[in-house]
Amino acid sequence: MDNKESLTIQLNDIEYQVEPGQMLIEVADDNGIEIPRFCYHKKLTTSANCRMCLVEVEKAPKMLPACATPVMDGMKVWTKSPKAIAAQKSVMEFLLINHPLDCPVCDQGGECDLQEIALGYGADQARYQEKKRIVKDKNYGPLVATEMTRCIHCTRCVRFGVEIGGIAEIGGTGRGDHMEIGTYVEKSLSSELSGNIIDLCPVGALLSKPFLYTARSWEMKSFPSIAAHDAVGSNIQIQTRNGAVMRVVPLENEAINELWISDRDRFSYLGLESDDRLTQPMVRNEEGKLITTDWQSALEAAVKGVQAVVNGAGGSALGAWTSPSSTVEEFYLLQKMVRGLGSSNIDHRLRQYDFSGQQEQRSPRLGITLPQVEQQNAILVVGANLRHEQPLLAHRIRKAALAGAEVSSVHPQGVVYNYALTQELAVDQLTPTVAAIAKALEEMGKGSELSGLSALTTNAVVEASHRVTAESLLRGDQALVLLGGLAYQDHNQSVLYALADAIAVMSGATLGVVTEGANALGGQLAGAVPHHGVAKQVVDSVGMDLGTMVEMPPKALLLMGIEAAEDLAEGAVEAIGQSEFVVSIAAFADEVSSRKADVVLPMAAFTETSGTFINMEGVWQSFQGVVSPKGEARPGWKILRVLGTLFNLDGFEFGDSESVLQEVKQACDAMESEGTDEEITSWVGPADWGNSSATAASGVAIYRGDALTRRSQPLQQSSLGKAEQHQHNEGATA
Amino acid sequence: MDKLKKLLKVWTLWELLQGLSVTGKYLFKKKFTLNYPEEKAPQSPRFRGLHALRRYEDGEERCIACKLCEAVCPAMAITIEAAPRNEGAPQVNGAGRSSNYGNRRTTRYDIDLFKCIFCGYCQEACPVDAIVETRIYEYCFESRTGSVITKEELLKIGDQNESQLAADLEVDGRYR
Repeated sequence: MDNKESLTIQLNDIEYQVEPGQMLIEVADDNGIEIPRFCYHKKLTTSANCRMCLVEVEKAPKMLPACATPVMDGMKVWTKSPKAIAAQKSVMEFLLINHPLDCPVCDQGGECDLQEIALGYGADQARYQEKKRIVKDKNYGPLVATEMTRCIHCTRCVRFGVEIGGIAEIGGTGRGDHMEIGTYVEKSLSSELSGNIIDLCPVGALLSKPFLYTARSWEMKSFPSIAAHDAVGSNIQIQTRNGAVMRVVPLENEAINELWISDRDRFSYLGLESDDRLTQPMVRNEEGKLITTDWQSALEAAVKGVQAVVNGAGGSALGAWTSPSSTVEEFYLLQKMVRGLGSSNIDHRLRQYDFSGQQEQRSPRLGITLPQVEQQNAILVVGANLRHEQPLLAHRIRKAALAGAEVSSVHPQGVVYNYALTQELAVDQLTPTVAAIAKALEEMGKGSELSGLSALTTNAVVEASHRVTAESLLRGDQALVLLGGLAYQDHNQSVLYALADAIAVMSGATLGVVTEGANALGGQLAGAVPHHGVAKQVVDSVGMDLGTMVEMPPKALLLMGIEAAEDLAEGAVEAIGQSEFVVSIAAFADEVSSRKADVVLPMAAFTETSGTFINMEGVWQSFQGVVSPKGEARPGWKILRVLGTLFNLDGFEFGDSESVLQEVKQACDAMESEGTDEEITSWVGPADWGNSSATAASGVAIYRGDALTRRSQPLQQSSLGKAEQHQHNEGATA
Repeated sequence: MDKLKKLLKVWTLWELLQGLSVTGKYLFKKKFTLNYPEEKAPQSPRFRGLHALRRYEDGEERCIACKLCEAVCPAMAITIEAAPRNEGAPQVNGAGRSSNYGNRRTTRYDIDLFKCIFCGYCQEACPVDAIVETRIYEYCFESRTGSVITKEELLKIGDQNESQLAADLEVDGRYR
């Protein structure tokens, strides 16, 4: 039988052309025919256990579940015939037997599938008079609240754990009336995607614990936005009530985050109300104390101090460090201001050590789109703890792996994957292993055109595992070499990049690069790097990168969105200490700037500012501020705009962030039309291995990556947050 | 003939007397007027006066912060804020109650009596008979902000009138 042939079925007496293998419910969904369901979910496998989607099919003696009935040629189906309605009504009655009538106290009330379907398909009165069952609640940790009496056993959460989360933590025990969903042995959920089961649950059995009882679905306003913690750029909805952020839920975007978001994106908003938010501008007085003041005098003090240094020691005495999660607008205005003052010392790569290859390296891009990741048949991950760095990219790669792709990984000890790898190379040093894989490819007769590669691979010792990895990449006609954040934090970053690039070239794979922060690509394109301007424009003199600035601290230092105590590479805090004049623009107080900064300007945090993030695919996504900044805080781009004007620099007359974006966008469009963006024609390798003794970076703990997540208490108390903290502390003492 | 009749009516002030006879009838009837405040009008058990929040017999407040009254209020006179409360939450899991985290309770329950139109929808919407309208109609405010009545005040009104409220609900319950 030819599988491509389309079939004809009749649904409610209307003919539809369908593809073989489709289920009835999919056809109905595609054509806007409503069939009630609880257990069926388009992203999960079919379990057909709720029986809510029963429909009448011609010649079938009984009603059939639409979610598990494949289409057949000439099939006639009725979703609203008297028989179908009677069946749906009976199922609804059974489901409601043990469901408590506690909608008024249930957080799901108002957005509950069971409520809605009971209204549409249920009876108006219950006939059940007997005792309802009660189920003990489970403790799933600080993120997910449970109310297991409400559970209708649809098993969506169970299937999510197995199929999407990758950790089979939740399951069903017992059967019939004794069935219970739970972890069996009490434990907190440890998946980095665990919050999604809250959205999946069709009733109020699984709820958001931090959000519990605080607001109703109908009294919140929903605003689309972009998640600010990783380079996936997940689409989210920020829901507010009375000008305060109440919760964050995903916004479906099949091309980016499907309909999932990571726990980090979901629960980070809880840090917004932290006590140590900066709400007042502060200036250090003669006695060395920070005192609160008004914006005017704080801005004037900042300008005066910076101007004094620039006048005295020249523009190059000024340096600027900015968070890799700043918006494109902030990056652009900051670099425009710093360059306007005659300096090129600007950097957003805060945890990087080795900058020697920056001129040759491409911007951190995935190289393919996120949906394309699923179609790869061979993937080599180099130096990444993907589940922590980019949870939803890790999910895409897992999907590829489950579909048969050969995934190998070179990573430091302690990185855990939630599926079987083809080759897992957990090592103390990344470089020798990556070199060995490159050498294995060389031995297979590849890479003759890459001059200088042999210099890097001569000392490498090729083992069987390296050969297997190399072969898997060669076998895959769609292959991806992915360089992650740990590789960028390595002291041999330039070597790792060159080797990964060489492996990609030799095996015909795409080189994908994903570093830290929500907007590292935006930082590069907006020119917040010392070696090129906006849209890769060549600069007259290459400024100092972060590594150089740490060695030779600039006399005046601008910090933007940085919590110095946690966000920076080793040694950088001391460098701030040696700087003469420090201006810190930040949303949260940190000990370093309160000890050292001469001027502290309070910046609006995420959700309070408008801006744009460029995700790892290169997709520009703008978002609006949805609540007003706390206290006197102002959006970062506005602060920079005013500073730029006070410095008497030209081109800072922007009315809104939109017009700043236009300016960047124009420059980048021109660059793309010239084709100068990512076309690196020749492979360039560094001359030697540089620092060969340094061990691989263990990376930043999943919930320690930026100031906002560090202040989200529930995330810190979650099992993942705690475990990581523990590990982190151990690493620090060792 | 008609002309003569008309003339007679005009000169005898017939229509005026006809009108005054109605007035005169009521002059000798029993008076409707009540000597308020000495006398008061009878009230229906459905009388919709000042609001109150009720408690259960064990002293626990009835309101569960479901916010249905807030949602149904046509004048948007009700403002509720809610949070879990651990105090007094049952340790053992009972029907609809949780052992992991406290009960759903209001932290704020304000009614702006200037906005309120006394339609009684809040009482109608309440699934636990917590917000009710009492028979009280004699009250005043001494400041602009005095019109906002808080949760504490509402509970106090409920406590003071509980026997009357319970009796009224009992009577009206037959028709619901």
